[in-house]
Amino acid sequence: MTIKNVIFIGLLLLGVVIAMVPENTTKPYKLTASQMLVEVQGAAEMVTADEVAHWLISKDPSLQLIDVRTPDEFQKYHLEGAINIPISVILKDDYRDYLDQGIKMNVLYSNGTLASHQAWMILRQLGFVNNYVMQGGLNYWFDTIMNPEEPSATSPNEEFAKYDFRKAASGVFGGGVDAALTPPTQTSADKPKVIRREKKKAPAGGC
Amino acid sequence: MGPLVPQEIIGADWNFFIAFVVGIGFGFVLEQAGFSSSRKLAGMFYGYDTVVLKVFFTAAITAMLGLLFFSLFGWINLNLIYVNPTFLGSAIAGGVIMGAGFIIGGFCPGTSVCAAAIGKIDAMVFVGGIFLGIFIFAEGYPLLEDFYMSGSMGPIKVSDVLGISGGVMALLVIIAALVMFKLGELAEKKWPREEY
Repeated sequence: MTIKNVIFIGLLLLGVVIAMVPENTTKPYKLTASQMLVEVQGAAEMVTADEVAHWLISKDPSLQLIDVRTPDEFQKYHLEGAINIPISVILKDDYRDYLDQGIKMNVLYSNGTLASHQAWMILRQLGFVNNYVMQGGLNYWFDTIMNPEEPSATSPNEEFAKYDFRKAASGVFGGGVDAALTPPTQTSADKPKVIRREKKKAPAGGC
Repeated sequence: MGPLVPQEIIGADWNFFIAFVVGIGFGFVLEQAGFSSSRKLAGMFYGYDTVVLKVFFTAAITAMLGLLFFSLFGWINLNLIYVNPTFLGSAIAGGVIMGAGFIIGGFCPGTSVCAAAIGKIDAMVFVGGIFLGIFIFAEGYPLLEDFYMSGSMGPIKVSDVLGISGGVMALLVIIAALVMFKLGELAEKKWPREEY
């Protein structure tokens, strides 16, 4: 067999191999298990209900609430300005622009924290940034923001400040009306930073 | 990890230097393969020498297989690779003009620069013609613009249009190339030339 024929057969075999294997089996940017563990333990994806309430009241333009519950549940009640992306369809291309972006700060919520956290983990594995989870979900939202409990008289001052804010916020969101709308300072300070992604410049090609 | 430049693993400054080195290498290989001879290039059209077909198709197949296997191994993200947008009408017209220039002049743009560099006067005239053509095209662009932009299909791939995977498309291209190599060899036997 001549060298030429060997090369011919080699090329043909490579072509057969590449035609048989699935495309893009390895997605870029996927986080490894150990990277994921570090992220989960760091819990930097968590934002509190108080923070969300503050951003909602101050009409923060970078906030995008995402309700990962079913459309039925979304119809019954959802937070102001939230969009509904049920966790079952989170991988659909239709929603990719919302979830994989560098402009807004997405806050996922569900009834508890479980579904929203599941959604967050999938998105993070895909390498998406700027997605956060509202701690405690809607249950906690109702317990603290909508029906705040008055702290005991011996509580530290911050607890009272928090309580005042929650009472005022609950007024805005449809609960009782009272008090001034100034959030306790520490909650507004640690807003997660939106990671801006530079648009990749497309290189021009040519012969 | 790849592509290296769009992901800025290699900075934009180095981009030009690498392009320079690759360009020098490209010219060297063209000259080594004898492509600075316009008779060799014209042989493609008369059938007595089909090296041009073999070299460029081999290069295309190598690059194609390389990209697909790199993508398979997760070394390169094909979504970030630049795909030239297709303008069907102007691409066909441009191809005809380029082909005609190829036969008449005996060079393609790359080989003409190569041949000019080793001092061939016809190649220098050819390069002058390229610049003249660029000038006329640029000055006449307002008249040509509608046609130039016609048949816009975006950055599509043949495999997308046919609805087959990139891998199957690659296999078809390889088979087509091997068939053409064989036909080329038959042509070389049928219309041989002693000296050119």
